[in-house]
Amino acid sequence: MTETAIAHPAGDGRPVSPGAGAPPGTPPALELAGVHKAFDGKPALIDAGFTLRRGEVHALVGENGAGKSTLMNVATGVYAADAGRELVDGELVRIRGPVDAAAAGLGMVHQHFRLVPRFTVAENVRLALGRRAGSPAAAAALVAAKAEKIGFPVRPDARVADLSVAERQRAEILKVLLLGARVLILDEPTAVLTEQESDALLAFTARLATQGGSVVLITHKLREVAARADRVTVMRQGRTVLDGAPIASVSSAEVARLAVGATVAPVARPRRAPGGPALTVDGLAHRRDDGGVTLDGLTLSLREGEVLGLAGVGGNGQSELVACLAGLAAPRAGSVALAGRDITTASPAARRDLGLRVVPADRFAFGLIRGFSVADNLALAALRRGRYGAPFGVARRRIRRDAEAAIRDHEIHGAAPGRSTGLLSGGNAQKVLLARELDDAVRVLVAHSPTRGLDVRAAQAVQAAIAAAAERGVACLLISEDLEELMALSARIAVINRGRIVGEMPVEDASAAALGALMVGHA
Amino acid sequence: MSGFLVGWLAAIPAYAAPLLLAALGLILSERAGVLNLSAEGVMAIGAMTGAAVVLSGIAPTLGILAGVAAGAGLSLVFAIVVVVFRGDQTLAGLTTVAVGIGLAGVLGRDYVQKPFAGIERFGADAAPATGAFERFFLQQDPLILVTLVLVVAVWWFLERTRAGLQLRAVGEDPGTADVAGVDVQMVRIAAVVAGGALCGLSGAYLSVAASHVWVEGMIAGRGWIAVALVIFARWDARRALLGALIFGAAEALGPRLQAVGAPVPTYLMMMLPYALTLAVLVLSSLVGRRGTDEPAALGSIYLRQDKS
Amino acid sequence: MLDGLVITRRFDTPTWLLALVFLAGIAAGLAMATALLVAIGVPASALFNEVIGEAFMTASGLAQTLTFATPLICVGLSAAVALRLRFWNIGIEGQLWLGALGATAVALGDVGPEATRLPLMLVAAALAGAAWIALPLVLKLRLGVSEVISTLLLGSIAFLFAQHLLFGAWRDPATGFPISLAFDASERLAALGFGRTHLGLPIALAAALLVWFLVDVTRLGFYGRAVGENIEAARAAGVPVIAVTCAFVLLSGALSGLAGGLIVAGTEHRMSLTLGAGYTFSGIVIAFLGRFRPLATVVVAVIIGGVFTASDVFKVFYGISEAVVVLLQGLVLFGVLVAQFFGAYRISRANWGASA
Repeated sequence: MTETAIAHPAGDGRPVSPGAGAPPGTPPALELAGVHKAFDGKPALIDAGFTLRRGEVHALVGENGAGKSTLMNVATGVYAADAGRELVDGELVRIRGPVDAAAAGLGMVHQHFRLVPRFTVAENVRLALGRRAGSPAAAAALVAAKAEKIGFPVRPDARVADLSVAERQRAEILKVLLLGARVLILDEPTAVLTEQESDALLAFTARLATQGGSVVLITHKLREVAARADRVTVMRQGRTVLDGAPIASVSSAEVARLAVGATVAPVARPRRAPGGPALTVDGLAHRRDDGGVTLDGLTLSLREGEVLGLAGVGGNGQSELVACLAGLAAPRAGSVALAGRDITTASPAARRDLGLRVVPADRFAFGLIRGFSVADNLALAALRRGRYGAPFGVARRRIRRDAEAAIRDHEIHGAAPGRSTGLLSGGNAQKVLLARELDDAVRVLVAHSPTRGLDVRAAQAVQAAIAAAAERGVACLLISEDLEELMALSARIAVINRGRIVGEMPVEDASAAALGALMVGHA
Repeated sequence: MSGFLVGWLAAIPAYAAPLLLAALGLILSERAGVLNLSAEGVMAIGAMTGAAVVLSGIAPTLGILAGVAAGAGLSLVFAIVVVVFRGDQTLAGLTTVAVGIGLAGVLGRDYVQKPFAGIERFGADAAPATGAFERFFLQQDPLILVTLVLVVAVWWFLERTRAGLQLRAVGEDPGTADVAGVDVQMVRIAAVVAGGALCGLSGAYLSVAASHVWVEGMIAGRGWIAVALVIFARWDARRALLGALIFGAAEALGPRLQAVGAPVPTYLMMMLPYALTLAVLVLSSLVGRRGTDEPAALGSIYLRQDKS
Repeated sequence: MLDGLVITRRFDTPTWLLALVFLAGIAAGLAMATALLVAIGVPASALFNEVIGEAFMTASGLAQTLTFATPLICVGLSAAVALRLRFWNIGIEGQLWLGALGATAVALGDVGPEATRLPLMLVAAALAGAAWIALPLVLKLRLGVSEVISTLLLGSIAFLFAQHLLFGAWRDPATGFPISLAFDASERLAALGFGRTHLGLPIALAAALLVWFLVDVTRLGFYGRAVGENIEAARAAGVPVIAVTCAFVLLSGALSGLAGGLIVAGTEHRMSLTLGAGYTFSGIVIAFLGRFRPLATVVVAVIIGGVFTASDVFKVFYGISEAVVVLLQGLVLFGVLVAQFFGAYRISRANWGASA
């Protein structure tokens, strides 16, 4: 068995002083300098740097797309940088892949966990540890022992696919520690957790640091981690704009200003009085192909001009709800009605004709077509309404004119009618989709995580578009894991947990703690 | 009637073995995430090479090994195209079939339709058997026993060994396997080549053991049935054994009926394995478990530098 | 493996690079094919004469090439139409057999007046081909059964059905060979007066024009592109996915069936068991090399027809198996598959840790 450098963390999570545990003169645990990396010619990192001391919790902060994850992926050899150098414990290293990273004591927990879903926890550990894990039984014992030691309840024989997100994260951290990580890099670890789960995780990282481990918290939400971090590094547009300042020396407003470059005005909540019923979902039930229950009698209703926020930890039935509403999945029971008309079994085309529009979480899943030009994507849905000529024709010139107008009106940067949609940035692609879905016939908009992965300005534009639609009388179902966004836009917030609505409250009564409690089912 | 039954049952393994060998090979490849349609062509090159080597006066056992090597060699080309050069796996598989059949035809023109003494059945020079079991056993050959051993070996390898764990991880989640230090490309290439060796063995079995002759087109769609068999078996070696016996039984039925003089429409009987395969595909999708056993990364291209 | 090299996806490959790697791939494939032919005993000097000279430069050779190209155009279109929806029609031969059987049934049964016999034969051929792909289509749409295998299995079944008829009810009673009786004059497509070329050639060209119009001009084609790129997105956008899929796939089957009808009515003038082999792979190769574009398909089909002509020469003069046709096509396709990698990905050398 391998003994990791991180000893049994026995602390109680009390805040530690900056650089705790490392005597003066100790070389940094990890140092990156002058890192450049481009994806297909587009620079993602420009002369980026980062220094991590031994025994500290270091927040790496920046907007989505600022290069935080890319930089850490370079550090652990997932991506090969175009230039730059890396030092571990003061020694120049060349990390060409995950094996080198593990040997250097670097362990990263990615946003998409590196666990094979169909394997058990023990099998995953055996895969990662290779020869060191020994027989299947030995690997299981190793997991159990480590889980006991660090106080994580992880069952070795549980299939990863059956675990909750928080449990998977624990299994992943445990795996990385078993691999001998002295530097633990957590990529947006709290994005998928409730407030309570986040607290537990952050307390754990603080314990690790007091025991001499080093932790990098990659996050775009400074407030959450500020209390637990010792120092902070800020990145913007691929560059390091604040390099390892003690957390006490900078205000959170200053960090926010550095991360964003300029502040953006928050979107005002729509204040229109709700009208008549627009969308009614009653007792909706759905199962996966393998029999797993995803929706379990879900009931909700929203009215014209109202934004209903739907909060919940990802994977609690949100995607299935969206698919059922779009007409792409068939519910086993229950009904969906649009303005009083039953559409439970209606085709996607019929729903569209009635004014239902869906923006999926992955805009290229069933929103946009990557290989289509912007003009073709914009025209695709309008063709059937007869806008572009006779039933068998395609009025190319008119499609092009409309596309030019849409690009202008919605400020879709980098777009041209003939340009392939897949080449647009996430924010601009999302604007294309919203330009198409928020047409003049829209009555109900279902938007699933519409700002996920977008930079602040693009997210603000998307939120403004949703708010404006609601002011026009469109009923909006906003499904999001971002409680701030929900509280900014919604009139009411419902919580989905294991395929059911477990609570609903006016936004005035909502708080992160109250919603979080409902999201994990402690209510 | 019992005479017919014993004769039929005794004939099944020789029909089932080549299907099973090829299916095992495809399982190895597909559990590593490489969609493999190449069996028909790899079997063709294996059958031709085996026959050509034996016709050149070399021992049948070495002929079989030559068929194995030829199958592995052609599969290496397929593996390089799809793994290193990321070619479309469906199209590359079809192309491998074409190249395999084409090479077998072009290189094997001097060996067509020349009977030879290959691997014999256990009962080849024994006295006519009396007991039912004896009659059954004497109809079998050593390679059938090898095939049974290989079923266990493939299953054990995939489910019990560390290399098998790595192979399955590559087929389920190559990104995770990569982070775990598994060389995704090498594992995929190795799995495809090992699978090709088994398909080559399957082809060589047809010419060197089952027919003792080689003709163009002798694989006659068995490679495709093996592809379907893998789906039926849900990528599990043990279920492949069961499936191969069912298909072998269907294939053996027509000739046995003819042998006992039953008036059967020959060509309609020959449709049976194909129709059965289709029926099985339909049934296995009706059961609704579709997708749950398929390797999650089957047919996907892995690139470490992809932004996830 | 290859860890020193870094491979990244290209998101916007310039057209000139796509064309370059495509042509380089074909060249590499042809080089492999040439090396192979020389290795098995075809003099290198003869290669040029046989392939280019005989197949395209002499009147009789060109006529032969165009005769071969006639059904090849149809199967190439068939594969291209289906592949536009990412539907792998690997049962082209099966639909072709059914088409040939359908046309033959009309001819042998003397269905309808003589004046409409030929059109009826071709319609029957197209319908039979469409009918034969209908089952895999339904299985795919209703149950998600992979069309790769179902179309292929039905191909084998179709061939066995042809054997069943030709070794049985349709066998030529005079000779006992497994061929049908010859068709009457009114059941044969008129010769064009250039070698063995026949009216089927303009029919195939007209089919190509029709397919071009459908898939490149009309709304059906626009929808088809959406379904092929992203079926869920198309469905969610209100595209009638089922109808579009049915239209494309049935058209694919009909084109393969038509190919069978053109062969029996134009070239063979009877049903036989040798007329349909090898068309599936040729169809896919033609569609792929023609980039799934109907009019480019015609050009590629004529070139592949030349390969068929050359193979006849190889067979007669050098005793080379006709399997060489499928081998040559396979090698060229391998060449293109490998070459496309260099268009789809950027390959660079890792420069990590060199200096700061």
